[in-house]
Amino acid sequence: MDQAALHTLLLGAWTTAWISAVAVAGGVPLGLALALLREARIPVVGHIIVLYVSLGRATPLVTLVLFIFVGAPLLGIPLDRYTAAIVTLLLNTAAFNAEVWRAAIRSFPHEQVEAARAAGMTRVLIFRRIMLPQIWITSLPGLVNEMTFLIKASPAIGVIGIVDLTRVTNRISAITYEPLPPILVAAALYMVAIGTLVRLQRLLDARAQRLAM
Amino acid sequence: MRNVSKSFAGIEVLREVCLNVAHGQTVSVLGPSGSGKSTLLRCINWLEEPDSGEILIAGVRIGVRADGKTHMPDRELARMRARIGMVFQSFNLWPHLSVIENVTEAPIHVLGMAEDEAIGRAEKLLEKVGIGEKRDAYPYVLSGGQKQRVGIARALAMNPEVILFDEPTSALDPELVGEVLAAMRALAEEGMTMVVVTHEMAFAREVSDEIVFIDQGCVVERQAPEAFFDRPQTARARQFLSRYT
Repeated sequence: MDQAALHTLLLGAWTTAWISAVAVAGGVPLGLALALLREARIPVVGHIIVLYVSLGRATPLVTLVLFIFVGAPLLGIPLDRYTAAIVTLLLNTAAFNAEVWRAAIRSFPHEQVEAARAAGMTRVLIFRRIMLPQIWITSLPGLVNEMTFLIKASPAIGVIGIVDLTRVTNRISAITYEPLPPILVAAALYMVAIGTLVRLQRLLDARAQRLAM
Repeated sequence: MRNVSKSFAGIEVLREVCLNVAHGQTVSVLGPSGSGKSTLLRCINWLEEPDSGEILIAGVRIGVRADGKTHMPDRELARMRARIGMVFQSFNLWPHLSVIENVTEAPIHVLGMAEDEAIGRAEKLLEKVGIGEKRDAYPYVLSGGQKQRVGIARALAMNPEVILFDEPTSALDPELVGEVLAAMRALAEEGMTMVVVTHEMAFAREVSDEIVFIDQGCVVERQAPEAFFDRPQTARARQFLSRYT
């Protein structure tokens, strides 16, 4: 494996990283919005979200990305492959994140909410000042866990022609006829990314411990 | 100042209860467990929604609009609750905020008070309930008695017209009860309007202007403390008091 190959690998890693990052940045708040809407118990909306979460969790990423990439233009929405990839990962991770957020919202101590209501806070204020600062910390382990799954599942976007960290290894071995070295480097890069996330989560976990007391 | 009357359907927890608390008075609500004391208190600030009856705070009805039927919007209800302080049995402090932040949270974000002013007032209140030195501590390091005094300071910080105490000492170790009662006694002497649900008979007798005795969701007796403790008029009150003497 030469300099050029390594360069291509890093480009692939960058593609995986930025697409995943955008999907996470959108999927975490979207998951929270879905969880809140579901807990708000609005009749029809609640059912739609349940259906969305079930479908989102049950559909393989490869299927979903093909469906979106091929299906969207038929509906008159032209999507380039990067947008299709981001939308796919975002929709998928949001479905899982919604469940993580929902668990945190449901287990939030009702007494704290009562104290806030008694102090004259509106629902919005209670959420923003009392619940959110606590549930994001209790949700973090679950959210980070989901981020690592997302990164590991992201090679699915290769089927619509995006050269990510996994697909790039094919490209290199097609030239060098040595598939193992690029695959090993790719695996190491995945491990670095996921290891960083897990370490970050541990640091923040110390704060979660304090809240649990 | 206020006229409380309501009943609960289903399992009847409160039956046509009427209660009047005059400005500056301390009223203690006594009664056996499950008699509806806490529910009564929680109806006053609409944490519990009564099925019928009405509650007026300084002449304004809480929970329902002026037409008497539709629900009060969240924002309006919140504004009314801001005038009613509440101290809970299990403290219900916010664990992600320090002591001083627990006390300044609602004044800043509900009343829109300037931060410096809120902090200055909170410091005075914490001093007053004797935990000024715990200003920057987080709730989890505090003892129950300290937590409850923060709870009292938090309620006071809103400058409420009345404070509701829901068994404020029931979750405390016996040796910590005294410090909380002392803080409450000081408040009563200053003329704060207070409604206290408690099992502390000595405190109720000494501090209250009036005792309301509740059993099975009904007000059974309403008397001045001396009269209630020395000459209870009903058999149920006598039976209740016999367990405390």
